[in-house]
Amino acid sequence: MTSTPRVEGSLSRPCMKCRVQEATLDSRSQPVCRDCFAKFIAAKCIKQTGILGKETRLPLPTTGGPPTGTRHYMVGLSLGVSSTVLLHLLSENIEFQLARGRNAPFDLTVVHIDTTTTTTVTTPSPAVEEALTRYRTRYPRFTFHRTPLSSTTPTPSTATPTPLPTAASRSDVTRQLTRRALLEQARARGCQALLLGHSTTALAELTLAEAAKGRGFALPWLVKDGVAPVGGKRKGLGGGGGEGRENGDGGRNEDGEEEEEAGKGVLVYHPLRDALRKELVIYAGLVEPPLTDLVWETKDDAAAAVVSHKDLSIEEVMGRYFAEVEESYPSVVANVARTTGKLVRAGEGEAGGEWCGLCGMPLDEDGDERWRGELGIQERSDTGTGRLCYGCERSTAG
Amino acid sequence: MAPALCVNCKTERALIKRPKNHAKLCKVCFIAIFEDEVHHTITSSQLFQPGEKVAIGASGGKDSTVLASVLKTLNERHEYGLDLVLLSIDEGIKGYRDDSLETVKRNAVQYDMPLTVVGYDELYGWTMDQVVETIGKKGNCTYCGVFRRQALDRGAKMLGIKHVVTGHNADDVAETVLMNLLRGDLARLSRSTSIVTGDDRSEVKRSKPLKYSYEKEIVLYAHHKKLDYFSTECIYSPEAFRGSARSLIKQLERVRPTAILDIVRSGEDMARLVPGESPSSCACKGNKTSPMVPAEDDIGGCGSQNGRTSGNEMAAMDKQLRENEAHEGLEVDVAMVMSESKNNGVKKHKEVPIRSGNGTSKSAPRQVRGNCSRCGYMSSQEICQACMLLEGLNKNRAQIQI
Repeated sequence: MTSTPRVEGSLSRPCMKCRVQEATLDSRSQPVCRDCFAKFIAAKCIKQTGILGKETRLPLPTTGGPPTGTRHYMVGLSLGVSSTVLLHLLSENIEFQLARGRNAPFDLTVVHIDTTTTTTVTTPSPAVEEALTRYRTRYPRFTFHRTPLSSTTPTPSTATPTPLPTAASRSDVTRQLTRRALLEQARARGCQALLLGHSTTALAELTLAEAAKGRGFALPWLVKDGVAPVGGKRKGLGGGGGEGRENGDGGRNEDGEEEEEAGKGVLVYHPLRDALRKELVIYAGLVEPPLTDLVWETKDDAAAAVVSHKDLSIEEVMGRYFAEVEESYPSVVANVARTTGKLVRAGEGEAGGEWCGLCGMPLDEDGDERWRGELGIQERSDTGTGRLCYGCERSTAG
Repeated sequence: MAPALCVNCKTERALIKRPKNHAKLCKVCFIAIFEDEVHHTITSSQLFQPGEKVAIGASGGKDSTVLASVLKTLNERHEYGLDLVLLSIDEGIKGYRDDSLETVKRNAVQYDMPLTVVGYDELYGWTMDQVVETIGKKGNCTYCGVFRRQALDRGAKMLGIKHVVTGHNADDVAETVLMNLLRGDLARLSRSTSIVTGDDRSEVKRSKPLKYSYEKEIVLYAHHKKLDYFSTECIYSPEAFRGSARSLIKQLERVRPTAILDIVRSGEDMARLVPGESPSSCACKGNKTSPMVPAEDDIGGCGSQNGRTSGNEMAAMDKQLRENEAHEGLEVDVAMVMSESKNNGVKKHKEVPIRSGNGTSKSAPRQVRGNCSRCGYMSSQEICQACMLLEGLNKNRAQIQI
């Protein structure tokens, strides 16, 4: 007699997790069914939002008394797969709680930074509006905003007086400004945290791409969760609060004052940091109706036919590289982001540091001093945007 | 179209598009600028003391040949007052080093520098051919690699020289930065970007004056100065992480030529962000010399020093990490559960905290500095790797003799 449940015996390839359904997918070298895979991805997101929930407090009512109401977060929506999956998972989480008669754990404002209007084009792309309409129809609970990148400070034109020389520079500056615009929006809209859809793979790409663009110093600010400076203005960042949770495990600051101080910066979280990009792509296809219907692809992914390296950005090179590594060595990908998480955030001296006039990241006084006059790279005069960090200097250099 | 003029002298015809920044230069200006930049690196990092005896680790390849040539030029031009000698290592593989050692011998005449060739037999009592005889062809590269790391230092010590310079270039450093990010090795990341390695305890310090020089410019310099070097295509495949990082760097360089230098800059900056590292590495401020870090033992250049590998390091590491993750899933992180409940304000549990919850960063695993109790070479272990391997070899030899 066998002790194996009958259902399992009748399956040709049972799911390793529930053992009652046929496995149709491979997840982290285990055969799993659709339901278990979807749960697995959702759990990754719920775990992170749970941690965030503990970092943020419920707003206090003006009438006094215990905190009531709902946490308020902002989601940065690029209209790509990862941020769409994030939005969907958060929406599911809220629906789940409401269905159980509980309060919604948080509510969301969704902001898309429209980069199609950056240069000479000033009218919004109809494709973006159409895409946002699709999202609004699917997630009527949330409010969606489109903010043109050209309406943010610094605007792409003031930040970069001369036309940017290469595709790599344009891509970099657009990314830095988009991030800054999202942070400013989150603060302006009074959101307690900005949620970004970066997958493990995206964080690994970000790590190596920013390192390749000379922004090693800012990496801990970009990759770790925690309070980020907004708009280059001095924020009262609490020592513990600003350190990101990787460093603060076991010692999250409970001090109320610090919390208020930290509230002046914006808390940035990456709830999908434990899921690989390929997993998010699979997930997007599993949801009914598929999320892939929503996603707005700006470019053909089949950009395989590279005409010239001059048309490539550093991000694209990293994207291709990690797509390969992710396929064969997913844990190596995860390890990259984890490793960067161990680095200390610096540039926040007691006296207050200075921030780059373009990307808004802390300036690295020691590194700049060490590098000065070095090595055949011309220094530039002030461009009117204030001092720039090394990475932004590189991208804007003619 | 009129020929472009050199952007530097504006009189000569530009013949060279500089790999580092695509500036168009004439031959004379390129050579002068290349040398000036190495000079700048040397002076700003205060690499040398007047009267210092310095051994140039010479393999006969392009990097060390250019290093010897540039150092000779700069030593005379700027009166460094250095006593330069060439130091070569002979692994004792019949036929393998013959051509490159011949090149080094010619360099010694060309640059008027004394040359010392030190063999593995003198340093370790074993040539590689003897090692292969004893342990077979499989796995002998481990021995060669470990022995090679110490060979320059041991050779210098034999000659009574306290400073060895090597031809590691910007590409090598950038490659190591990316490789250590991929491997998740912060301790090595913080060491690998340092221009000087070795600390007060070590008898021999090492430095890399070509740290900011592009490999392509080194080749151009060697070509235009008509230097005599031996171009070896390494017969060994590089270790997988390094190979992966290397091809990535080549692609990045094509997209943005400054990327190599930008990675070096990132690496230097990130080294200061590794928990427990000193915050500043600037040598020009306050006139102090560069802080020295323990010797970096695996910075590349020649793939063979990594030994012939099966090429599956990435796969092996991936597997290891995956197993760790699986184990993590099975255990309960007591400290985390507790800190969460603490943050909730739910203080039902009264256990003694396991981790001090002061929010300070977990420090990267740091190796304890020490010296090998047998040979005195810097090692984090009681007995260094080379001495361990030698012990095994010597036991074997004893058995064979019986």
